[in-house]
Amino acid sequence: MTSVRVLIADDQVMVRQGFAVLLNAEPGIEVVGQAVNGLDAVAKVAELNPDVVLMDVRMPELGGIEATRRITGQPDATVRVLVLTTFDLDDYVYEALRAGASGFLLKDASAAELAHAVRVVAAGDALLSPNVTKRLITEFSRMSGAPRAPLKERVGDLTERETEVLSLVAQGLSNAEIAEGLVIAEQTVKTHVSRILLKLGLRDRTQAVVFAYETGLVRPSGY
Amino acid sequence: MGRPRSILRTVRADLWNPAADPLPRMSRPRALSRLPHTLVVLYALIMGIFPSSEGMDPTVPMLAMMSAAVLVIAMFRPLPAWWASIVIMIIGARTGLTYLGEAQTFPWMVPEAPLPGAPHPRYVINEVVAFPWTGSGMALQAGVLFLLALRVRPRVAVETLLITTLVAVMCVVFLPEYSSGHPVTALPVYAFAVAVGAGVRMLRTTRTRLEAQQELTAEERARRTVLEERNRIARELHDVVAHHMSVISIQAQVAPHLVDDPSDELRENLAGIRQNAVEALTELRRVLGLLRARDTPEDAHRAGAGTGVGTGAGPRPGAGNGTGAVNVVGRDALGYSLGDAPQPTLDRLDELLANVRGAGVALTAEIAGEPRPLSPGVELSAYRIVQEALSNAMRHAPGAPVTVRLRYRPDALTIRVVNAAPGAPPPPSPGAGHGLLGMRERAAMLGGDLATGPTPDGGYEVSVFLPVDSQKGIEATS
Repeated sequence: MTSVRVLIADDQVMVRQGFAVLLNAEPGIEVVGQAVNGLDAVAKVAELNPDVVLMDVRMPELGGIEATRRITGQPDATVRVLVLTTFDLDDYVYEALRAGASGFLLKDASAAELAHAVRVVAAGDALLSPNVTKRLITEFSRMSGAPRAPLKERVGDLTERETEVLSLVAQGLSNAEIAEGLVIAEQTVKTHVSRILLKLGLRDRTQAVVFAYETGLVRPSGY
Repeated sequence: MGRPRSILRTVRADLWNPAADPLPRMSRPRALSRLPHTLVVLYALIMGIFPSSEGMDPTVPMLAMMSAAVLVIAMFRPLPAWWASIVIMIIGARTGLTYLGEAQTFPWMVPEAPLPGAPHPRYVINEVVAFPWTGSGMALQAGVLFLLALRVRPRVAVETLLITTLVAVMCVVFLPEYSSGHPVTALPVYAFAVAVGAGVRMLRTTRTRLEAQQELTAEERARRTVLEERNRIARELHDVVAHHMSVISIQAQVAPHLVDDPSDELRENLAGIRQNAVEALTELRRVLGLLRARDTPEDAHRAGAGTGVGTGAGPRPGAGNGTGAVNVVGRDALGYSLGDAPQPTLDRLDELLANVRGAGVALTAEIAGEPRPLSPGVELSAYRIVQEALSNAMRHAPGAPVTVRLRYRPDALTIRVVNAAPGAPPPPSPGAGHGLLGMRERAAMLGGDLATGPTPDGGYEVSVFLPVDSQKGIEATS
């Protein structure tokens, strides 16, 4: 198994170097580059083609959110963005997810959490800390207001079963939990999820959740 | 038994009150502030001069004069004056008899001399009437009641009206010789006077209360503005602290990796540092959550948070923008929509100045002394003060040249932002005053000084003194 190639984008040299040291110490993770701001990050992604970008939100020149949007907006971009924040659940996180980020992480996360997050995001088939994500997504959908566009047709491409699976994914359930709920094999759920991502042109599970809420397929309970 | 007694006690407390309670001046126009008093005296003079004529009791002109005097006194001590008017009423009903022919007309309407050949009016209706029920008698009594009703609570006014009525009726019942029936005219006049007085008083108190309310609202708004500014400043500073804390937490984690074979003590120590940093961060997040929860839309707009974030690389206005758009362009040029940029320091001053120049402002910047990194709080505040001062200059003096001077002194940083006189009167802008308040708060927090004011040539100057020894700042604010 090849190692996960990581690019770190942060304007503070201490943070960049610190994360580089911590991640390089982890097996299967390799830091391939560092960027000092958003513009630099966009350029370095094009140059180094990493698997995961650790992206600070607040950077001069070009902020992390816009950089995320540019990076994930590239056609056939496979790189996944993990957003670093000092504060959890702030507006930036919602924006980052809408901009195409696959997850977020607090800057003071432990080395183990950091490595775990990088691996999960790189694999793309699980949600980063489902509880927090759920809370986040509830909040996110509350503040995002009206859905972007009538996306009924695109949801319509999904089969009934796939739509059902998508709505369960959006509730933060893992594949195993979904399998149990629908009384099907976990492998089948996995297949459904991949087909959903493929059909909707989504990068990963997190983006599938964002999609489900944004299109109004799922409404947070109590709204 | 207790109840009537308590009513009596209340009435006594209401009415036996010799305290001065002067008729107030009019608040505006100023030149007419004494108008009510002048009118009362004039009224008393006209009503108080009772021309004597034959067949009239000699006490009547005296009673009229006394009543007039009582009316004047009622301007200052309404309740004693009212009691005096009751006494005069009783005496007048007993002795002050005159003829109705003259009495029911007002004094100035009495013919000085009868026309030759014409029958004198006094012979037409030759009925006797007592002074209190003559035109001027009623007018003076009503005047006292009116002035009283202006000054006292409606309940007291009603009490005096009832007592006046009672006394008048008693006078007619017990002194029936001539004056029967005439109080019938007087009583509605009294009631009318009290009603008008109480009505005017009510209007007045309502207006006063409304004014007080408005004043309170304005005060409240000013206080809220200060609090909002403090909130914003606190948020920014906590933000800076939180970023430092997170760097500490990362470094504490990294440190063991930097040495070969770190000792257990070192590991423990660093773990302790990290633990503390993480806990401090948790608390900081709570504080920041609290501070953010109080955000107003205005704040959100200023901070550039929310949907505005990430819509572009931050608006960068080109040169030569139309002046009409200065307000809008101005704020963007000033980098209020910082969005996902870190809290600024003076490092980014050049960027700020370039943006302002880009918005078409003729800007001169001078930096004197030895530039050096200052503490984050000072750097942030200095940046924000320059930003706010420039924003004010652009808002209030669009098109006018601006000078920014920074001087690094050994003990302090001084900032002067001066704009020349605006070419045209500035457009009215919302949110004025916010900026100055914020600058003042920031300077005060650091133990510094802020002076603002117009310059002799019609421009405006903001000058700030920020001590850079942060310890001093802490002492000054604590």
